[in-house]
Amino acid sequence: MPPGLDNLRHIVVLMMENRSFDHMLGSLTAVNPQIDGITDQLSNPDTTGASVAPQPLAQFQGQLDPDPDHHFPAVDLQIFGGDTSPNRVANMQGFVKSYFNQQQDVGHSQTIMYYFAQNQLPVLTTLALEFAIFNRWFASIPGPTICNRAFAHYGTSFGRVDMNPIDIIEPFKSIYDRLINANPKHTAKLYYYDTTSSTMEVANLLQNEPELFGTYQQFLSDCSAGNLPDYSFIEPNYSDHDTDSGEEVASDQHPDHNIEAGELYIASVYNAIKQNPNLWQSTVLLVVYDEHGGIYDHVVPPACTPDQFTASANDTGTGQPFAFDRLGVRVPAILISPWIPKGMVVDGRVFDHASIPATITKFFLGDYSPRSPRETSADVFIEPNVAPVDPTRNLLSLAAIRTDCPDFDV
Amino acid sequence: MTLIHVPRPDVKSAMNADRPVNALLKAQIRHLHDAERNLPLRHRTDVYINAIKTEGEAAEYIREVTTAIHAAHEVAAAKRGRGIAIAAAADEGPAGKAPSANGKKKKGTGKRGRRT
Repeated sequence: MPPGLDNLRHIVVLMMENRSFDHMLGSLTAVNPQIDGITDQLSNPDTTGASVAPQPLAQFQGQLDPDPDHHFPAVDLQIFGGDTSPNRVANMQGFVKSYFNQQQDVGHSQTIMYYFAQNQLPVLTTLALEFAIFNRWFASIPGPTICNRAFAHYGTSFGRVDMNPIDIIEPFKSIYDRLINANPKHTAKLYYYDTTSSTMEVANLLQNEPELFGTYQQFLSDCSAGNLPDYSFIEPNYSDHDTDSGEEVASDQHPDHNIEAGELYIASVYNAIKQNPNLWQSTVLLVVYDEHGGIYDHVVPPACTPDQFTASANDTGTGQPFAFDRLGVRVPAILISPWIPKGMVVDGRVFDHASIPATITKFFLGDYSPRSPRETSADVFIEPNVAPVDPTRNLLSLAAIRTDCPDFDV
Repeated sequence: MTLIHVPRPDVKSAMNADRPVNALLKAQIRHLHDAERNLPLRHRTDVYINAIKTEGEAAEYIREVTTAIHAAHEVAAAKRGRGIAIAAAADEGPAGKAPSANGKKKKGTGKRGRRT
């Protein structure tokens, strides 16, 4: 068996907020052409008909204000360019038009095409170049945060495409319920930043199973003490707020929160795992963004297996129902482990947030039913550790653990 | 092994607790408000959520309700534990009236209004 899989005991997912792949990692095509990011051929029309190319002019804060619209109708415009005909084809040509709708300012609307230069994001770009970057990881729904995050917890949003609380519909269970009720029992935890930031998983998990939750400080302690559960899901700080120990700057990178604070947070999660040698060799960390936040990406979201739920025309706000049969806009996703070869680009395979419970379930529990159609058909990013392991799919493929992985001065 | 320098944000310019709440925080506030309705009265806040306009105000409300949810569960767990312990003692001791296993208080014993 591959030693990376043999050693694997912990899977950690850190889900950030509202940034597209091209916006954060598109610059890396210049470093490695295998990475499907920004090229000279890309553009969007503005409302005057002028062509607007992506430019490395993104700023850490103060640029994407107001928050770009990323609710279902706006994302529909971004993906289809405003075409609402029955046989329309997605073209990713509506991002500038969509942002124009919010302020009626042509110049400001063009900022939606801006992306970060590599040296602005030393943490995210280093991790992407050192470990495995996914060329095709998409949001689960062409819509906002709550329904997309639901896919990471439940493998479905139970028909929701909006920000309303999720109603769990039997027989589907959260990944946490599956793990802690398994025989043999597994351990799982959601770490929110602090009680002032709290969690986006209020409706069901926090209300009904608060014992599943911990704070970021507890995550750090658990890493240090070797007490990390089998599965950990980490949330960033969603708000600027005061605490007894001082000011806390939001680290979620949601526009218009500070990008550097998010970089620091990602680095601190990485360091917490890496600084415990036993944990480092037995853990994989997935850094992923929940959705694109209305910001430009050039890759057309693919079709997918329909879920068993349908959102009504009224719920989508587009006049058309949605069968959850295509994915949302592409987001950054990086898998980190010392068993992953340096510079791996995962290409030719499609992932979305349903891949998270799909992977955790298959790795820790094996066959499990019932799961949503979307989760059942989602690709996994860690192969189950049972023979035979397909070497072409196993990302933790090194025969010996790496000793050249970077450190961050956090 | 490479050491990567991570620039710190300038907290003075990055921090803005007076920033208007974004759609995500608005949703989180609504979800917590819904959750509050399921709490015993003494754990509820008296915050009028439509008046929350800034991140700082949102953060304060989110902290109060999150703390209250945890507190309510801790109280329920303690009562449950006490109920089980009393029930066990009753099983071993002389016959008497068994306490409620769900640990419910008698009417009128709970504090009302804002949690302090």
